[in-house]
Amino acid sequence: MTLKILHMYPNMLDLYGDSGNMELLRYRLGKRGYDAEITAYTMGDGAKTDFESYDLIYLGGGADFEQQLLADDLLSCRDKIVNAYKSGVFMLMICGGYQLMGQYYKDSNGKKIPGLGLFDYYTVASTNKRERCIGNIVIGAELEGRKYKVIGFENHGGMTDNVKTPFGKVLFGNGNKFGSDTEGYFEKNVVATYLHGPLLSKNPKLADYIISYCLSRRQGSPVKLAPLNDKLEEECRKVMLGRLLQG
Amino acid sequence: MFIVNFFTILIGKILSGILHLLGKNAGNLPGLVLCTMRKNALKAFKIDCPIIAVTGTNGKTSVTNFIAEMFRKSGADIITNPEGNNLDTGITSLLLNHCSMTGKVKADYLILETDESHVPVVYSKLKLETLVVLNFFRDQLDRNGEVETLILKVNKFCKTFTGNLILNGDDPNVARLGLANPNNPNVKYFSVEKYKYATDTLYEAGEGRFCPRCGTALAYDYYQYSHIGRFVCPKCGYGNITPYVKLTDIDLQKPSFKAEGVEYATAGSTIYYMYNLCAVYAAAKLYNIDQKVIRKVFKSFKVNNGRMEQFEYKGSVLTLNLAKNPVGANMTVRMINECEDEKEMLFVLNDNLADGYDVSWIWDINFSIFKNVTRVVTSGRRAYDIAVRIKCSGYDEDKILVRPDLDDAVKELFSTGGRKFAVANYTAVQPTRAALNRFIKGEGAAK
Repeated sequence: MTLKILHMYPNMLDLYGDSGNMELLRYRLGKRGYDAEITAYTMGDGAKTDFESYDLIYLGGGADFEQQLLADDLLSCRDKIVNAYKSGVFMLMICGGYQLMGQYYKDSNGKKIPGLGLFDYYTVASTNKRERCIGNIVIGAELEGRKYKVIGFENHGGMTDNVKTPFGKVLFGNGNKFGSDTEGYFEKNVVATYLHGPLLSKNPKLADYIISYCLSRRQGSPVKLAPLNDKLEEECRKVMLGRLLQG
Repeated sequence: MFIVNFFTILIGKILSGILHLLGKNAGNLPGLVLCTMRKNALKAFKIDCPIIAVTGTNGKTSVTNFIAEMFRKSGADIITNPEGNNLDTGITSLLLNHCSMTGKVKADYLILETDESHVPVVYSKLKLETLVVLNFFRDQLDRNGEVETLILKVNKFCKTFTGNLILNGDDPNVARLGLANPNNPNVKYFSVEKYKYATDTLYEAGEGRFCPRCGTALAYDYYQYSHIGRFVCPKCGYGNITPYVKLTDIDLQKPSFKAEGVEYATAGSTIYYMYNLCAVYAAAKLYNIDQKVIRKVFKSFKVNNGRMEQFEYKGSVLTLNLAKNPVGANMTVRMINECEDEKEMLFVLNDNLADGYDVSWIWDINFSIFKNVTRVVTSGRRAYDIAVRIKCSGYDEDKILVRPDLDDAVKELFSTGGRKFAVANYTAVQPTRAALNRFIKGEGAAK
């Protein structure tokens, strides 16, 4: 089986090693004998792109400058992206990608960029450019009824409000706002989060959740993933969780 | 004012003196105290000689050392910060150590490596004659913010600067500084001719893909490395520069290059190194340094500070290089590949304050091109993160050994013979050098 992934604006939204998440998915699929076909979406591709035909749509994080450049293009794809989401395509959105799926994003200069409005949340950046949530972060998420600590790094000036179903509870770090209890936005087929790092490298079980969702949806019946040798990943998590949660 | 300046210097001198008596390094602390006490502490110094500053993401230390060596070999009396200390506090400390009680600094030239974000801070208080800007890459995003923010800071300074501005004309992020002040006649670009391994497409994560003037995607003839190359904006023509200095006939095998028709042999052999020398050459030309001096310095001068530094243990040669951001690391990986023999690699990754706490940049390193690397040892505070990164690029996980302790890592690395390479990020470089020296001197075994 081959998973079809649409990587949106990879040349503009790749601020914090975000393309690493794509490399990770390809790696974990490949180890199990599946392929990943990753299509790069660049500005102007809207008309020819069939968003619903993909298994996963991915948007990384970008700088304010790039986010403004692509806002109009993204809006022109609004209906197609909404349909893809409603039909169950998995949406993985990091930082800027997370913000742009909401109602709007007001940047530090007070400039309002309309979002796609897929979800009810909205984001406002402090007018003081120095006020940013920066640092390691750990959140407690729940994946298919099982608790899982998700580790990442956050670096955002935008404060996101009105999140109905957050991705997780903040155990260390800031989250959606300064000192927030919650982080990100979650639905069965949506992970929208400020965690980069890249997210999936630090959280192999989250990567597998996404992979197994996509494969099962494609196949029409549950797919059971073969376990991988995650010794290095688990050691890495142990070090970071030890440092951040017991420090 | 005189009294305030006098006391500023006096307090600084006393502090610096106490630290020396205690046998402590006075590299930063006295300056830190003075700059905290008095925002304009730098104004207390009286400097009559020209100041040359070097800034940019990568290569500052090397270029500063090279320019200093050019002047030194020409017989000039210079003051420089050869080991970094490139913030306002470090520069204040440096000047404290070299000034009289009245704050007078006596030298023919000041050659100062200066952190990008501190260029406006320092040179709003000291009169700058020449600013050399090497490149702008993504670096420590959590500390510096977006690259764009940093460029805008330097750009703002350039808007009123009328001194010599020596700019990398092949970096769209740097060349744009030449537009900042249309009334500055002293803008000079340096450029390096297309070299053998230049590529048609972007090979590693890069910045500045869009025209800073009109937002159009830039068109490239070729990429030398990262986003450095011959670019032009197809819409407004940004990027059409006339270089003040252009290196040609780049030969990484000899290694050598030509400048203004004359061939120069060099000690280093990467494209990255050639760009550094190009900046040095432009400064040397501007200050009429004798060609014989230039030739001699290019041929034999080495900055032995964890920058392409060689170590040897029982016939096994190790090259250590600093890589503090994706571009530096990618250049090092390329260099490792250019050595076609089998080799082993040590990667030391820290996440201390000066490194930036965020290590996500390692995912912008292209490890998939690894050739003939038979084993990888990882170390440092984030030893496991870099191990996972290398593994997921497709490298055999059984050939990766994690040794968070540096002495253990070095011992592991030298448990076999053969060619070795070591890569360390900012705060990891000096501890890595120390661990290598300890091991080679035999103290490693005693641990």
